[in-house]
Amino acid sequence: MKLYVSEGNPHCLKVLAALDVTGVQCDVHYVNHEERVVPYLSRPALPALLLPSGLHLFSSNAICRYLFEVSGKDCTELCGQWLEWEATDLQPALLQALHMAVLQGKGSDVSKVLQGPLNYLEQSLSKGNLPYLTGDAVSAADVVLWAALYPVLSDSSQALGERKFVKTWFDRGAVMHSLQSAAQKVLQGKGLQGTKSYMQKQPAPQSNQCRDTQPCNSSPAEGEESER
Amino acid sequence: MALRELSSLEKYLGLKKPNKYSTQGDKKVPVLQNNNGPPLVGLVTIACHLVKEAKRPELLGDSAEGRAVVQQWLEHRVTKLDGCTKEDTKTILKDLNLYLQDKVFLAGNQFTLADAFIYFGIHPLIVEMPIQEKEQYVNVTRWFDHIQHHPGLRHHLPPLVVLRNRIYTSRHH
Repeated sequence: MKLYVSEGNPHCLKVLAALDVTGVQCDVHYVNHEERVVPYLSRPALPALLLPSGLHLFSSNAICRYLFEVSGKDCTELCGQWLEWEATDLQPALLQALHMAVLQGKGSDVSKVLQGPLNYLEQSLSKGNLPYLTGDAVSAADVVLWAALYPVLSDSSQALGERKFVKTWFDRGAVMHSLQSAAQKVLQGKGLQGTKSYMQKQPAPQSNQCRDTQPCNSSPAEGEESER
Repeated sequence: MALRELSSLEKYLGLKKPNKYSTQGDKKVPVLQNNNGPPLVGLVTIACHLVKEAKRPELLGDSAEGRAVVQQWLEHRVTKLDGCTKEDTKTILKDLNLYLQDKVFLAGNQFTLADAFIYFGIHPLIVEMPIQEKEQYVNVTRWFDHIQHHPGLRHHLPPLVVLRNRIYTSRHH
């Protein structure tokens, strides 16, 4: 198996951490952001895992799930639900947060953008009161969410605010060797700014373009919408 | 849309008692109240749950690789296909067309949940597409036609004519 990653790409942090946690044997290749590894995709998609069958996996969450499964840790229903939430809810917010903090120098707005997903996470963790997202052991969901949040949360812990359940859970991951060494490889010790080369190649987040141009007007606009 | 897909899946799986779903948030994410646990949230999560309930694990893939490929396409459906722009549509179909070049199904050699949900998600795009444009994506239309005729799947969707009679195609290969 071959795993293709690029420096500065936060999704690569997920798979490198998962590779270390699971101990799966795999060649890791560092390529440019623009390298088209998956032959049928017209846009570069990294990370990518070349499977023994010759097929490519191009979704970082599917790669992490696979690495956990081949090391004997199947993804439960709850684990799958977290992975779906990460891809559909957390990622759009994170992309916008990174865009603001890294390219626009508006790091102070990060906590506002991440408010919704972080509240959801806090609520879920406080209900279960378990050390990890799916129970008493680390699952693919923990590694994926730790790694996704790592660039932002390790840079400014302010974004967490008073969310003590998220903080306790995140700190459990942040001290792990697997996560730290993956972060070192991907972010090169530059924290959030380590993602700059990657972010510059990404299209600006679509859904919130109006907010990008007029950040001060975002709250009143939202208020109007909810009144309708 | 998502709720009708789940109800079609229930019928396809032959589940006797239809579930009641609610939705949450602006994006109307489906929620299934679960008698013996917390509610299940998300189209992919609920669909996988129904498949397990119906004891049809092969629909999620028959090997670790197969399962990963199925999950990848299910994620592709809810992250890329849902809410995509006109420009995105072209890229998505072009890529899918290339992927399906040497394949009958999306994952492995059998029908899986990935085929069902990419089909459900692509249906509204194909409806609007003129036949000439469909012909640019021959592998997608071949696959689409195959899946829409998969027994018991197409409950909430009308059948679409996607393939013209070969006699009329003048292009040489």
